[in-house]
Amino acid sequence: MHRAAILLLVALAGTSSVHTQTAAPATRPFVETLASEKLGGREAGSADERAAGDYIAAQLARLGARPLPGRSDMFHSFAFAAGSRDAGSRVSITAGTAATRAYTTAADVQALSFSDDAEVSGPAVFAGYGIVVPESQGFGYDSYATLDVKDKVVVVLRYFPEDADQQTRGILARYADLRYKAMAARQRGAKALVVVTGPRSPNAGLTVPMTLDTALAGSGIAAVSVSGAVSSVLFANGKPLVDAQKDLDTGNPHVAGFELPGVIVSLKAALTRERRTGRNVLAYLPATAPVTNVDKPWIAIGAHYDHLGRTAHSGSLASRDDAGRAHLGADDNASGTAAVMAIAGALSKQPMRRRHLLIGLWSAEEIGLLGSAAFVATPPVPVDQLAAYLNFDMVGRMQENKLVVQATGTSAVWASILERANVAAGFDLTVQPDPFQPTDVSSFNGASVPSLSFTTGAHSDYHKPSDTAEKIVYDDLDRVATFASAITRRLMDLDPAPQFVKVEQSTQTASRTGVRIFTGTVPDYAATVKGLLLGGVVGGGPAEQAGLQKGDVIVEIAGQAITNIYDYTYALDLLKIGQPVKVVYMRGSERRETTLTPAARR
Amino acid sequence: MRATVTAALALVLAGAALLAQAPASSPERDFLTRPRRLTVEGRRAGEGYWSKDGKQLVFQSEREPGNPFYQIYLMDMGSGDVTRVSPGMGKTTCSFINPETHDILFASTHHDPRSKQLQDEELKFRASGQERRYSWDYDPEMELYVRSAKAGTYRRLTNARGYDAEASYSPDGQWIVFSSTRQAYDHTLSAAEAKQLETDPSFFAEIYIMRADADGSGVKRLTNVTGYDGGPFFSPDGKRIIWRRFDEAGLIADVWTMNLDGSDQRQITNFGAMSWAPYIHPSGQYILFASNKLGFENFEVFMVDIDGKKQPVRITYSDGFDGLPVPSPDGTQLAWTSSRGGGREGQIFLAQWNHERALAALRAAPAR
Repeated sequence: MHRAAILLLVALAGTSSVHTQTAAPATRPFVETLASEKLGGREAGSADERAAGDYIAAQLARLGARPLPGRSDMFHSFAFAAGSRDAGSRVSITAGTAATRAYTTAADVQALSFSDDAEVSGPAVFAGYGIVVPESQGFGYDSYATLDVKDKVVVVLRYFPEDADQQTRGILARYADLRYKAMAARQRGAKALVVVTGPRSPNAGLTVPMTLDTALAGSGIAAVSVSGAVSSVLFANGKPLVDAQKDLDTGNPHVAGFELPGVIVSLKAALTRERRTGRNVLAYLPATAPVTNVDKPWIAIGAHYDHLGRTAHSGSLASRDDAGRAHLGADDNASGTAAVMAIAGALSKQPMRRRHLLIGLWSAEEIGLLGSAAFVATPPVPVDQLAAYLNFDMVGRMQENKLVVQATGTSAVWASILERANVAAGFDLTVQPDPFQPTDVSSFNGASVPSLSFTTGAHSDYHKPSDTAEKIVYDDLDRVATFASAITRRLMDLDPAPQFVKVEQSTQTASRTGVRIFTGTVPDYAATVKGLLLGGVVGGGPAEQAGLQKGDVIVEIAGQAITNIYDYTYALDLLKIGQPVKVVYMRGSERRETTLTPAARR
Repeated sequence: MRATVTAALALVLAGAALLAQAPASSPERDFLTRPRRLTVEGRRAGEGYWSKDGKQLVFQSEREPGNPFYQIYLMDMGSGDVTRVSPGMGKTTCSFINPETHDILFASTHHDPRSKQLQDEELKFRASGQERRYSWDYDPEMELYVRSAKAGTYRRLTNARGYDAEASYSPDGQWIVFSSTRQAYDHTLSAAEAKQLETDPSFFAEIYIMRADADGSGVKRLTNVTGYDGGPFFSPDGKRIIWRRFDEAGLIADVWTMNLDGSDQRQITNFGAMSWAPYIHPSGQYILFASNKLGFENFEVFMVDIDGKKQPVRITYSDGFDGLPVPSPDGTQLAWTSSRGGGREGQIFLAQWNHERALAALRAAPAR
């Protein structure tokens, strides 16, 4: 890392003069085509996505890009599950001598989205919250410690203990994801998992809505959620569930689950998974001379071209008035795709390229970075031959000249390269070292490729049908493409290749599927202040009711110091719905306090 | 961009009628437009000074592994190329470009045989996780050097023991004005003086002038008032020197100007705070400087008319440090050092400077 930084100075000093001046890129036609009604929002696996991919491939061919070596076309297909529906799950319960009760409606029983298709039967055992904290965490909590669940049907509560102290809740929340609970039950030999939303929890007595799970196979165990009516039958002959939950809600790890005596559960978990095929578009501009002596002879640039499409999608933030309108995704991410096309166009006119330029337009990013993940999983070009990857996601809505560059921690060369390239480009740069971002740069960081991701940040049209082409700031989008072209040229000449630096992922940045608190705060992602700068508050939400407003900086919530957005998301786990907490914030230079009452997230 | 990986991020956006994105307008925008961070690499950077044609900026930065002290770098404002122009060893500070020859003037300790040892000790101290408040050690090894633009060779300009630094050229490139603590090393100190040197060596710093082709001789002292005198620059017409003068305790500083022979010393500011790092706008009409008037650790850039007849006008509005303002030679841009990019360490920022608005604000400022 050190050596590379020094050599870089030499390398850059020697090469800057050969950079050719090219005409400013014109991103507008790409954005207008990709974000047109005709392409309907480019939902992964749809006909619209195929049409968009065809258009991109044709444009790449026009500028002289070719299919990757050994391939006959520019398409890289991968399969995924686009959604799942319950396909007639049912449950019947025999409790002692009482008559068997059967339930078949979606209100009473629903498969969980990751369930296996299976029909099983067995004695029931209640395993509390079904949470197992790994021993490595130095915190003893194992819902199965005193239970034998082999070949049994395990009944667990959704969420995590409601009344535990903040620190305990913070730890347990991390292991309360239903997928994680299912894995714990399966590992202990259980036949099935039955989830109950306890009477003392939010959404009490309701089944768990089907969520999007893009895995094509189940998780190895039958898993369903059942209603309060069903659970009252399960617990009819012993301790009532509400009492059992009350004991468990203390968070005391010694409160154990128990057998449900004489209760036999027969269930069928049935899911229909809609299998679809997504297409990445992959092409390259070959180096202009043999690359035999070049360290890591590929530079990759990429952006996702898929978006949310025409239908209501779990990622949509459309209001009811917008129902039925396509999400055109001009900024997200026709803008990034257009930037990549413009960079490829500029580099295609470069008389000398020491490295190959790989151009990757990813699909199925919106449902889980699937396209870029498929690329790094079965790479058509070995990922260890990639010297660097530049990602573009939402680069079309620049405000106040602000450009955010993420993942700068992945190599020591980035600060140096960005500084030099930005002298001419003149952006008000914010650099963020963290590569664990909700965009395709995560896939490449995971594959140890030095990476950068460019964005102009979120805005009020994010994931709405109103993210349209006429709102793009094209002059600035062109400037981003010019800036990134200059960086790409520097990378082409850089020898040795940038060295990868592994950035440790804070446990606080891990997936937070257990979050269920709603505060109505809208963070400003480009902020570099200490604390959480609010880019806005949701009208009528808890934050607005607490008197918070855009521009305030939250520095403490419920006694937890907040220095960045991760502290904040972590602190959310510690809050209780309906229980007021003290919030300390800065308004200008004035330190203020207020009380915020968190609401439940649906 | 995918919103669901970090559910919390999604939830704050969920259903969000995000508000209009126009940022809270800051009074800073009256004078500074399109502000941006110029230096990105390394732990810290500061004190950017322009070449006469505005095409280069010389600055100090800590950005190379193995040396935890500042070295001097030259940035080409066209291509963006950055090259180190100091030897790389030891400590350096306060660079300036000769307006005529493009030679680069700076202070350095690289001749000190302990340089490597001091670097390693500082790195070890940092690795231990300890932190110290910002301090400048006024190393008596600090001497003035000039790097030839043509040959790339170094020539030492001073040889008196004591901290010789904070140097700048006259507009014609013929003279150098600088600050030095040499008076603390040229005689046997009394017990009181020795104690003073130990607690605050800057107490002995005074302003000196010499010819640019100096060999260590012909140095003339310009100030003779107790307390730290430092940071001198020539006025754009070359007829005056502007600098900062600290009180004896080293807590309060003010901006002063004087003739080249040290006569006619005039106090320009009187905030009763630490007002320092003055630089005269190329129009000659006003002075930019930094002051912590608004809070001990909150330095902001201010400006004041050239004679200090009116109240200074505040320029920057951000927490932490904003200081060392240096306008470009054509007066249309301002380079300054700021911690607004995050963390405690500064980087150089650049913005368009609105000269007309500055003049209007100075006209409207109340009399002092």
